[in-house]
Amino acid sequence: MTDTRRGRTIAVLAGLIAALGVACIVATSFGAVQVAPGEVVKAISRALRGLTLTADQAVVVDLRMPRVVVAALVGACLAGAGVLYQALFRNALADPYILGVSSGAGLGASLALVFTGMGVISLVIVPAAAFAGATITIVVVAAIATRRGVMDTLSLLLAGVAVSYSLSAVTSFVLVVRREQMSRIVFWMMGGLQTSSWGQAAMVGGMLAVGLCVPALFSRELNIVLLGDSRAGELGVDVERFKRVILVAASLMVSAAVSVSGLIGFVGLMTPHMARLVLGPDHRLLLPASVLSGAIVMVLADLVARVALAPVEIPVGIITALAGGPVFVWLLVRARRGRL
Amino acid sequence: MSPALRYDGATVGYERAVVRDATLEVAPGEVVGLIGPNGAGKTTLVRAVTGEARLLAGSVSVAGRAADSYRRTELARLVGVLPQAVPATFAFTARQFVEMGRHARLSRFGGLGAADRAVVERCMALTDTGGLAHEPVDTLSGGDVQRLTLAQALAQEPSVLLLDEPTSHLDLNHRLQVLDVVREMADEGMAVLAVFHDLDMAARYSDRLAVVSDGAVGVAATPEEILTATMLSDVFGVRAVIGADPVTGAVQVMPVVRMRERRAPRGIRVALVSGSGSGAAVMRRLAIAGFEVEAGALARGDTDAAVAESLDVAFVPLVPYGAMTSSDTAAVDAAVGRADVVVVCATPFGPANIGNLSAVARSSAPVVLVGEPRPEDDFTQGDAARLWAALKAGGAATCTDPRGIDRCVEEAVRR
Repeated sequence: MTDTRRGRTIAVLAGLIAALGVACIVATSFGAVQVAPGEVVKAISRALRGLTLTADQAVVVDLRMPRVVVAALVGACLAGAGVLYQALFRNALADPYILGVSSGAGLGASLALVFTGMGVISLVIVPAAAFAGATITIVVVAAIATRRGVMDTLSLLLAGVAVSYSLSAVTSFVLVVRREQMSRIVFWMMGGLQTSSWGQAAMVGGMLAVGLCVPALFSRELNIVLLGDSRAGELGVDVERFKRVILVAASLMVSAAVSVSGLIGFVGLMTPHMARLVLGPDHRLLLPASVLSGAIVMVLADLVARVALAPVEIPVGIITALAGGPVFVWLLVRARRGRL
Repeated sequence: MSPALRYDGATVGYERAVVRDATLEVAPGEVVGLIGPNGAGKTTLVRAVTGEARLLAGSVSVAGRAADSYRRTELARLVGVLPQAVPATFAFTARQFVEMGRHARLSRFGGLGAADRAVVERCMALTDTGGLAHEPVDTLSGGDVQRLTLAQALAQEPSVLLLDEPTSHLDLNHRLQVLDVVREMADEGMAVLAVFHDLDMAARYSDRLAVVSDGAVGVAATPEEILTATMLSDVFGVRAVIGADPVTGAVQVMPVVRMRERRAPRGIRVALVSGSGSGAAVMRRLAIAGFEVEAGALARGDTDAAVAESLDVAFVPLVPYGAMTSSDTAAVDAAVGRADVVVVCATPFGPANIGNLSAVARSSAPVVLVGEPRPEDDFTQGDAARLWAALKAGGAATCTDPRGIDRCVEEAVRR
């Protein structure tokens, strides 16, 4: 990387981190009880120093902060997974939702929820089951789309959508059979963050960290595979190993997101795509920038979900779909060149 | 020197074997060209080195070790590949694209160092792509992308370079430029194995050539030894004149006719008087149309003589610049006497070949005159012009366009 490029990378990432910080503080200050942004900052700093909190400050730290943080982490996970899938499949339309990975994780998580309930144990079992569901799904979808070693873009998307529908049907069936759990799980599945806790934040954060560090070490490979598998091999990339690593990492992030917030579409599709249009295809910048953008988008979407029709909450998945659909269409029309 | 790349009884392919029992060596500093018809397995042979085609038996070794025993990164430090084309549908800049060639030489945690950047600079300068450094690759022409791909492969600093029809999408200038760079790298010690489409380029840039056909690889030898008329007709099904590039001295192939193109013989004998290339096009058309052509006296080394050889057309050979002997004259008379039609091309006539024209004047067969002789081509003090005029006055048909010669001959036969 030349110095100007490194300077740009640092500037872009610093700007995104600052924007994320601002978005989190603003989002935290909104709610049934308005808390001034300055008060939010004060509450956080008191909590960090272990001092006693006022009632308002306690609301901020114990109720609102975890929700905002979980939203940010979920957005980061979805966008991170989206970047990885898009690079791996050389397809700007790949995203966890379209590929059926979210549905796979959703089925895994539903089964776990049905059989274990919502206790502390669910913080381990639900994501583990979601991870298993996500991994199996992406392997199956990729296998369906591959013929004689060549993965066709259209087949991939069709296989993803088909598998996604089948898995959703199975999930619905499970819910009907276990009717007493249904409303709780449906509520979760629609993409809500109401039940967020610091425990969930820690779980998602941990999975995000693992799911992101590994691909970060492979950022050069993420670039090179855009030249095609065979060229990547000629340039020294062990393509098969790379694919396994990336698929597992992406599945990990998707399952983390799905475990706490159900199925949320478009963040994993839209955010990396927008970041790529603005910043170019170099994953050394694109990966962290997309992750940060995903976090920002999700924090803002959850803010809208909470305050738009307060006191009624809109599931955040509806907000992302409402906002993401048109934006994506606009991007498609604008970017006719089919770049990746 | 020990070979940098060696195939030893290698059978390579995909699900099934494409090339069997290939044995071939490429030494450092050497360009070995693979030639052969489409689908013969040239590309498969090259791809077996990088594991993109499977090695089914025998061995392929790089720097003395089996190619498939290397880890990917190790192999990429030894072997660079320039494929036919790399899809360029991404917005990386040209420099980022070339930098990807350094991948195998970087640690997982590190980025490009000053030394790496210097290599990238040098490779871009070598391929004349330095000016494109900041351009997005997807906005560049196919030729630019191919030169960048070469720069990318050279940035690997390989000791073996594999080229798979590297210039098939390039214009003449860029074709020469890419191959000049490759030749230069070979002269500095790189071992190059290249699949060539273009036989002239293969001859010009290769030290040795090997023919791949029918799933086998022939013995590699110099272009002069490999590019023979027999090989071209056996392997490519093309009759060709083999010459030498007057500038570089490299073997040059001039295709004359595809063997499949020739129609079945129609039992009409045509005697042809020509020389210095005046009858090459006519001879080719008549041979394709299925006439049994026999030429008059032609000097060895004459263009028409070379074309006649490639078409299996009999002619009476003369020593260059020598005159026709009495037995030559008899042979020409016999050929003209046998013919159903005599075709005479506007040819430079001199004392050496005027006998051809005299023989035609003596015969009674119908005559077709092709073209109009130019006075400056007459080195017989007007004898040739007088004979030509006599033939014309005697009712000879004239054919102004050599492309219509088969019809002219048919009409002459009917009359």
